[in-house]
Amino acid sequence: MAGLELLSDQGYRLDGRKASELRKVQARMSVFAQADGSAYLEQGNTKALAVVYGPHEVRGSRSKSLHDRAVINCQYSMATFSTAERKRRPHGDRKSSEMSLHLKQTFEAAVLTELYPRSQIDIYVKILQADGGNYSACVNAATLALVDAGIPMRDYVCACTAGFVEDTPLADLCHAEESGGGTSLALALLPRSGNIALLQMDARLHQDHLDTLIEAAMTACKGLSEVLDGVVRQHLEEVSVLTRD
Amino acid sequence: MIKTEKVLHLNSSKGRKVRVVREHYVREQVPCGSALCQADCHNDSKVLSGDVTHYVVPDVGVVRDFLEILEFRELQGIVLTQTAYQTVQHTRGRRHYNRLRALLKDPRHDCVLFANEFQRYCYCPRDKGESQDKWHTRNVYNAAVWYYNHLAGLQPVVMITEDSEAISQFSALNSGVYVISTQEYLLSFWPDLQAAHDLYNSIAQTLQERESEVVEKVYTEHLPAEVLEAGIKSGRYIQGILSVNKHRAQHEAFVRYEASASKNTELNSDVLINGAKHRNRAVHGDAVVVELLPRNEWKGRTMALTEGQGEEQTLEDTQSQPMPTGRVVGILQRNWRDYVVTFPPLEEVQSQSRNSQKILVIPWDYRIPKIRISTQQAEALQDQRVIVRLDSWESTSVYPNGHCVRVLGKAGELETEIQTILLENCIHVPPFSDAQLREMPINTQENPWQMDSSEVSSRRDLRDTHLVFSIDPKGCEDVDDTLSVRTLPGGKRLELGVHIADVTYFVREGSLTDLEARSRATTYYLADRRYDMLPAVLSADLCSLLGGVDRYAMSVLWELDAETLDVCTVWYGRTLIRSSYQLHYELAQSLLNGEEVEVPELSQLKGPQRDQKMAELLQALETLTRVARHLRAQRDKGGALELEGVEVRAQLDEEKNITALVPKQPLEVHETVAECMIHANHWVARKIQESFPHQALLRHHPPPKQEFFNSLIDCAKARGFSINTRSNRALADSLEQAVDPQDPLVNKLLRMMATQAMSNALYFSTGACPEEQYYHYGLALDRYTHFTSPIRRYADVLVHRLLMAAIQLEKEGSPSKPLASNKELEELAHHINNKNRAAQHAQKQSTELFQCLYFRDKDSNIDERCVADAVIYAVRTNGFLAFVPQYGLRGAVYLKDREGQVVSVDGDGKCEWKAGTLQRYPDRISTCTSTGTHTFYLFDHVTVRISVQPSRCHTDTLCLELISNKPHCAVQPESQPAGRGRSELVQEVVRWAEEASLQAEEERGKKSKLSREERQFRQSKTPNLYVLLQEISELALLDLSVCQIRNTEEQTCTASS
Repeated sequence: MAGLELLSDQGYRLDGRKASELRKVQARMSVFAQADGSAYLEQGNTKALAVVYGPHEVRGSRSKSLHDRAVINCQYSMATFSTAERKRRPHGDRKSSEMSLHLKQTFEAAVLTELYPRSQIDIYVKILQADGGNYSACVNAATLALVDAGIPMRDYVCACTAGFVEDTPLADLCHAEESGGGTSLALALLPRSGNIALLQMDARLHQDHLDTLIEAAMTACKGLSEVLDGVVRQHLEEVSVLTRD
Repeated sequence: MIKTEKVLHLNSSKGRKVRVVREHYVREQVPCGSALCQADCHNDSKVLSGDVTHYVVPDVGVVRDFLEILEFRELQGIVLTQTAYQTVQHTRGRRHYNRLRALLKDPRHDCVLFANEFQRYCYCPRDKGESQDKWHTRNVYNAAVWYYNHLAGLQPVVMITEDSEAISQFSALNSGVYVISTQEYLLSFWPDLQAAHDLYNSIAQTLQERESEVVEKVYTEHLPAEVLEAGIKSGRYIQGILSVNKHRAQHEAFVRYEASASKNTELNSDVLINGAKHRNRAVHGDAVVVELLPRNEWKGRTMALTEGQGEEQTLEDTQSQPMPTGRVVGILQRNWRDYVVTFPPLEEVQSQSRNSQKILVIPWDYRIPKIRISTQQAEALQDQRVIVRLDSWESTSVYPNGHCVRVLGKAGELETEIQTILLENCIHVPPFSDAQLREMPINTQENPWQMDSSEVSSRRDLRDTHLVFSIDPKGCEDVDDTLSVRTLPGGKRLELGVHIADVTYFVREGSLTDLEARSRATTYYLADRRYDMLPAVLSADLCSLLGGVDRYAMSVLWELDAETLDVCTVWYGRTLIRSSYQLHYELAQSLLNGEEVEVPELSQLKGPQRDQKMAELLQALETLTRVARHLRAQRDKGGALELEGVEVRAQLDEEKNITALVPKQPLEVHETVAECMIHANHWVARKIQESFPHQALLRHHPPPKQEFFNSLIDCAKARGFSINTRSNRALADSLEQAVDPQDPLVNKLLRMMATQAMSNALYFSTGACPEEQYYHYGLALDRYTHFTSPIRRYADVLVHRLLMAAIQLEKEGSPSKPLASNKELEELAHHINNKNRAAQHAQKQSTELFQCLYFRDKDSNIDERCVADAVIYAVRTNGFLAFVPQYGLRGAVYLKDREGQVVSVDGDGKCEWKAGTLQRYPDRISTCTSTGTHTFYLFDHVTVRISVQPSRCHTDTLCLELISNKPHCAVQPESQPAGRGRSELVQEVVRWAEEASLQAEEERGKKSKLSREERQFRQSKTPNLYVLLQEISELALLDLSVCQIRNTEEQTCTASS
């Protein structure tokens, strides 16, 4: 076995994309009637479901509430059938807790929480099928769900991963590319202002390459924001057609 | 882009089967890589040529199993599908995959990769229940059809497959796409390419055989890679390269450490691997992992001389001290190459086994085990030399399996043997291709090459200001160095100049010629021919600094103080020169000796004009000699070594028959030129190392290990000399003093042994080595590189480019192009080192071949020339090693034969075989028989008879047989060819050159005059009319001697085997 080749000499990746091409993104909003806002998003084979409740009164102990802004509560979980081998614990493990925390930080930066003092906004995200870029799929799905719930935000939050193979940045990594052992950087961007909501990278990378990698991730995020924008507009059209009747 | 999905079944890390779904994106725009493309594909890399009769699309199975056939350069227009490419990647090893990649990258091969699985109309998803092979074949077929349609039917497409069902299924479907089997394809399209047919048959047969066999295990299984890795880390196992003892190939092998790998301080020697069981299927050159055996199982290495091949004597008493012994537990990296083998004669084949199609063939290299081959051509191939590739070595098989690749020719024929030598050293020198030659500038009678005027203005013009001349061997074509020396106005300073052919001007980096030169790395000099690194138009014409024509050069000019000869300033740069004189060594030496000789360049001139020119030239030569002596003295102070290698030249007549073996004759002028070159190399090394401290190509010579000197010290002790080997200075001094006034050969032999103890000089990149290791031991210089022979060494081409970059850096602050990184340069240096070693081996082996040819035609019992004087230089338990100065031969002389009889010496020195015993001492060996005891001491002169021991599978070897313990004296002066007389002369000249005093100078003047007369005398006395013919054949031969003379330092590298 001669190992995997993440980027062929002709510039193709394992799944036939070129270095800067994103996976196919499909999304729908308002998938559930019970919740205040919900969305379903596919980014390649990574499928995420996001549900938003709120803003409402702070549940549980009152001491958690903040007097000047809303509390954002995030919960991330993965379906037991989401990976190639069945997962035993759907949520509550270290990885999920970390992911929940990251999501919370991301959305605290994007949602205009100061409009809702002493209240709470719940965001629940579930990964139905995992194929790399779970964080970014969650963020994108949650953004749509927040839009659906009508919660004011500074901007869309768009997230995308980027990797670095043979001196070339690769946008939107799939599972095979992520597990290939290379660098992977996750970026959540507010595309209009260009502000970064969250940036995370675990592996080692030479300092010289960091700028190109971030640049590639930002371009990918901007591409995603157009797709998300399209989804929202289409949803609005559908809804307005329905309400007109 | 359209998204589809692909379902794969993979093995998970825990070993379970896992179903994985992967995305698969297909698109319409996939570059096709053909010159005939009608649809504006973006073909930015390699493109298939349009002028072939058809395109070939090989199926997955063909690429996987028959890649070697596709490697034939004659096969053109190959479209490799991504399907096949990935299958190779997933199912075959890394080596196979890398070969495929190299094939695709090689610009000389007409083949491209077509990403068919990403093409929307080519890709078809796998049907339910369809086998993977069928699916792959379908994909490849679809790709072939698409290709045909994409090129609008301009080119018929042939798909070749090994799947007979596919042929019947697809062949009738499309008109322009033919589906045929590989065999049929070769038969109908390449009927003349016999080599490919043979290769096909042999691979097909091997594949068939592999399916049907399983028996009991002969060897233990290798451990899995993870276990090995862990074992190496924990120190339980040792990692190293296996090298097999050439003389005891079946029993002894050693594992050499990779220096960094061992933390184990108690083990500082090699590890012995004893027997085939312990060697466990490892082949010479493999990177293996070894486990040490318990101490009580350790063995010593065998010290006795073995006679011939085959029989093995493992007498316990002949072994040395026990040394670490181990067994191979796993193999990290196979290092199999192509091997030359000989088919056994038919009778042997038939008796060999039940299965007559399997044949054990014997490799030419002793160190390689016999190889099992399946073939039906055994009859046709008997006594032929054939190239074989190893396929596998299962633990159930005693011998490895292989297949034939190509037939070289009948064993024993000169051409076959030369090809064998080249192949065994992995030297690949096809004729230069048309594409490469097309890059060359043109220089013909009608269309002479002209200098570029912008180039002329950018260079420093030395044509009118400097007297430039070259000194080379007679008839040399590739003159890559010229010299100049002059007194600067004012008389306070001298200017010494070394001007080297500017090869890098003609050979641009990355051009086809450059790639070819890089892969060859050096010009190969064999005894009777040479293989150039650069095409002849460059090496013999435009780059060559011939006399009387304008040429581009790279120059180093030093300003020296006229009195002290110290270097004041140095200038490096590109220049324009015109060499005024093209001298050869003998001529230059006679000029220096003040003899009346005719300089060809001045033969037109007359009278005072001629005298004046002559005086100028003489003046320059003398100054040069003075400077060179000064430089030499400087280096001697640092401890430069004067070492002795045996260099013998075969003189050939027209039919390549050998007429005499002649030792090389050194003159002082050789040393003068060499000294200037060393000086230039040294200064260039300084320059590039200072400019690029991390990525300059230098050459170092590591100090030898002290234990290698043991035999030298012991030998010298036998004659009462003490040799101090602590530093190169001490060694040089003590060698200087170890002169026996009665026997000049003693000193020569000691120097020869010192040479053997040396390690090789190597190229390296400065970033890969700490600075204190830059030192060149043999030349006693802190930095050294190769700069002066870019026509025949690729390292020099690299150094030229580095020097240009360094000059540019100085001028503009940054080099125009990015330089090769340290890692790339180190890899390149490694490659060049390997090739150089191969070139040396090939040269040595070809010389030995010619030595054997020389003695083969002579009946050793009658012919006087087969009897010669020999000197004992080492003692072993059952004989001694002797050196024959007349022919420059070294070999073993046995005192004990297979029946246990020993040599006895009677009163008048004649030798006989008799029953008796043998006793060995450190410095002598004595035989004891009924007639008495006789002792042979080190450095004794004896008489030996030289005969050829023919060998069918290997090279013939020369055999020495003792006939008398008295020195051999020439019975008839004329039947004793000049060799002996001459070798003495060689001795004397060497010694005189060392003394380098004025008195010796005069003396040498007389002597060399004498020698010339003597030589003429001898030549007139030889019965044959070879004198003229020799001159012709020497044209080719002399280059060999250039190579040797120039690299005085390289003499140190005639490594001990």
